[in-house]
Amino acid sequence: MPNQVGIDVGGTYTDAVFIQNGKIQNTAKVPTRAENLVETLLDAFDALKITNVPSINNVTVSTTLVTNAILQDRISPVSLLLFSGNGMSIDALPWPLSYLELSGEIDFRGREIEPPDLREWEKLQTSDFSENLVHVAIVGKFSHRNCLHEEQLAAYLRNLYPSIHVALGHEWGQANFFRRSMTTYLNLGVSDMYTNFSEQLQTALSARKIHAPVSILKADGGTLPLAKIRPIDSIYSGPAASVLAGLAQSDPKDSSIIIDIGGTTTDLGLVLSGNPLLSTKGAQIGPFSTLVRSLSVRSIPVGGDSVIRATDQGFFLESYRLGPAYCLGGNVPTPTDAMRYLGLIDYGNERLAEEGLASILPTERRTPKYLRELATAIIDRVVDRIADAVDSLKHEWEEEPAYKVWEVLHPHETKAFYTVVSGGGARGLITALGKRLNNPVQLGLFSEVSNALGAAMARPTFDCTLHLDTYMKYYRVAETGEQGKWTGSLRPHREVENFINTLAQKQAKQYEVAIYDLEKEPFDFFPIVQDYRTVGQIVRGAVHLRPGVIGRVHV
Amino acid sequence: MRHTGILFFPAFDWSLGESHPEREERLLYTQEQLFEEGILDLPRIKQFSPRIASIHEGLRAQALFPTPQFHLEALDAHLIAAGSAILLGEARVRGDIANGFVLARPPGHHSGATVWGNRGFCTLNNEAILVNHLRAHFGIKKIAIVDTDVHHGDGTQDIFYHDPNVLFISLHQDGRTLYPGSGFVNEKGGPNAWGQTLNIPLPPGTGDEGYHYVLENWVLPRLQVFAPDLIINSAGQDNHFTDPLASMNLTAGGYGRITELLQPDLAVLEGGYSIEGALPYVNLAILLALAGEDYYHVREPQKLDRSVLTLSSIKPYIEGLKNQHQTINPHWTIQNKYFFPKGDWIYIPHSVYYDTEGFQEIRHDYIRQCSYCGGTVYIESSRSSFPGKSILVRIPFMACSECEQAGYELWDHLQHQREDADYGLLQNQLHDKQDLWQRKEGLR
Repeated sequence: MPNQVGIDVGGTYTDAVFIQNGKIQNTAKVPTRAENLVETLLDAFDALKITNVPSINNVTVSTTLVTNAILQDRISPVSLLLFSGNGMSIDALPWPLSYLELSGEIDFRGREIEPPDLREWEKLQTSDFSENLVHVAIVGKFSHRNCLHEEQLAAYLRNLYPSIHVALGHEWGQANFFRRSMTTYLNLGVSDMYTNFSEQLQTALSARKIHAPVSILKADGGTLPLAKIRPIDSIYSGPAASVLAGLAQSDPKDSSIIIDIGGTTTDLGLVLSGNPLLSTKGAQIGPFSTLVRSLSVRSIPVGGDSVIRATDQGFFLESYRLGPAYCLGGNVPTPTDAMRYLGLIDYGNERLAEEGLASILPTERRTPKYLRELATAIIDRVVDRIADAVDSLKHEWEEEPAYKVWEVLHPHETKAFYTVVSGGGARGLITALGKRLNNPVQLGLFSEVSNALGAAMARPTFDCTLHLDTYMKYYRVAETGEQGKWTGSLRPHREVENFINTLAQKQAKQYEVAIYDLEKEPFDFFPIVQDYRTVGQIVRGAVHLRPGVIGRVHV
Repeated sequence: MRHTGILFFPAFDWSLGESHPEREERLLYTQEQLFEEGILDLPRIKQFSPRIASIHEGLRAQALFPTPQFHLEALDAHLIAAGSAILLGEARVRGDIANGFVLARPPGHHSGATVWGNRGFCTLNNEAILVNHLRAHFGIKKIAIVDTDVHHGDGTQDIFYHDPNVLFISLHQDGRTLYPGSGFVNEKGGPNAWGQTLNIPLPPGTGDEGYHYVLENWVLPRLQVFAPDLIINSAGQDNHFTDPLASMNLTAGGYGRITELLQPDLAVLEGGYSIEGALPYVNLAILLALAGEDYYHVREPQKLDRSVLTLSSIKPYIEGLKNQHQTINPHWTIQNKYFFPKGDWIYIPHSVYYDTEGFQEIRHDYIRQCSYCGGTVYIESSRSSFPGKSILVRIPFMACSECEQAGYELWDHLQHQREDADYGLLQNQLHDKQDLWQRKEGLR
């Protein structure tokens, strides 16, 4: 295994790790400077004190740049133009943004039902389009089956405004007009900022003589080269990194629950027989529903620094943080104080921990017996919250929809789960967690930098999903939105396998991904019948390079 | 917020044959339409995943002849469709959802009280299995099933014909012009459930307006009188004007309005073979109507170009049917066999043609006349060119003690004294028990 550097930019700290042949050589932690991510990344890199920089084969970065920009509403203004067609009135859906509906309709097979109305386009010139407008996202219902109207309008606008930035919905070639619209909108809205970041980063790395390829971690736990990634795909790479870190430390066949306990939040993920669980729906970010493929992860607002508030009945575990634990100089008691008091961790001031906990109790009960009871109860409460989230994630996995008889007859079996726990709050909770989850719990290696470790160990993901309609003589690729003519037979069999392989090779080259161990999804063949005669087929199939790690790490 | 549940099970790997109307492609475009619209992102919509029904759950409503084992291999998809109906029905009864749509293949409403094979693309009756499950487990007493498939829901009618606690209403294209050729106004229910079956055969070309008129002026008032705990809609999509097998000329919007009028607790998909022209739009309209959303923009691209009957020509037809329905009187043949327990047993001969496989089932149905309960049912059934006879004994829900006793006497007689019967099923709905008996092996 080569020399890897992983860097994870978190909200408070940025972590880094240097791995040489599967062994962790060095780790680092520097404060995150939100206003200057490039500098932060370089600080983290420098802190690794790598002597032989040219020997680095790969740098993988997990960044909160796009996530934060979206959540803090710092994205460029984008005009969203929709060919919404007939069907459900689209205002039934909870749109968190404004849009303009245009006429023009395509159906589910990609047939044009109604052409666009050019008079509406002419009106666009005078009213909605001003000099300073540069970003336009155009999305049509069923454009993933036929991008005709999107392309027509884009050509029309580019002709009038040569400097315009246009993004088309069909490039996210999956069904769901609502999500496709938002994904196209968000990706365009963050693209300038991302390009800027990418350029600055490349300049800075060159200055440090780092010539290794730089990859960015995606929400699905895979990596892509800095210049190839679609910015929106980089959201939620933090939780994805912690799942990968867990994966890199467990047996390749194991099923595990991965828990990363931070100060404010705890992230959870599931690994099933070595494969991280992917979410069936796209990622949700703030008010936006997207088509971004992501690992199925949960974030719950519980951590070592969560505030404990006294109530009439005892105490309440709040879902926010007000600075560090009492035993580390903070002003309010936290689960960390409970852990310190019980001797489960060895950092922090023991006397302060006791003082913090005592503040919850009525004066007459501030005795060791009651303090112990309180501390234990606090830990149980934290563990309960985490375990509930684990149960809900497992339930979601078991409740995944099935669309084939085979899937119902071969349900997900209940597996024995191992639990890998990492993060600042992990050490003091493992015993209680193991008891509550009723399965073995293991403390992750270098748990304080586990996300950086996950980033370093990540490998590319790749998917190529084909939808072929031999009667309409069209094929589409879901991941890239590529649409083209089919010249093969009406009822293809073997030739469709070669076809998807060629498509996959081409796509992999474009993304600069080396494809190996591709997993094939069996093809579905739907006969299309007219007047009792089969006139064609709809064929669906896919190849995948699933999320995973390049190997296992050891100390 | 109370959700509308959807259980979408298109069975993409099951079909009756490549060019058969009931094939893998059937819900493909519905999936595209629903997913593309973002229907699963509507805050009110909640998706459920399918589950498989057990044979026990199936036998609670239907007797599988000559033995359940005989059918097992071919039943997977059917058991999943039935199980899906049960799952969503439970969600409704528990209050997890306000209403729901079981969008599953294969359909079921032509499958009756006894099953020798597939007929009308149906082997198991999804609604009937659901209804008996809910009655057995949740103590629900009165259920109405309104069948709006273009074909008469003969299987469902057969299963509940003697059940005073299930109101079965079927609106369909006149049986003289369409499969299965039954469903006339004189089919009003068995001796203990007279009037609990209502058939409304409609002339070809009835259209949206005609359907809504019948619902508002006949179906809804009847439902109101019955006051069911639950309304289930057997929602066939083959009344649509593009359907290749029928000619009722309904639109997707017309279906939306039917759903809005009926307010079913559950809609369960039945037939509908205009795979591209109707299904995606009709299913979308029904789902939106269930969710209380606007379905007016759901418009199929094809224009209605068939002629639709005017309301003024339908009204007198409906009045005529109503009169016929009111004036018809029951006349029963009593036939007490020597081994029948005491009481009067009404004899109803019945034969069923299995169109998919091309054979005939001959049945002799006997119902114990009872003024206290639904009455024990005794059915002798045989299949053309198939040796032997199979027997169903059914003790009804809320059976009186005499009827229960009668059921056990028949069951005992079958096992010990009948030489000509090879197989038997005892459905004791009162205690939710089923016994299987086979001559070769005895009681199992």
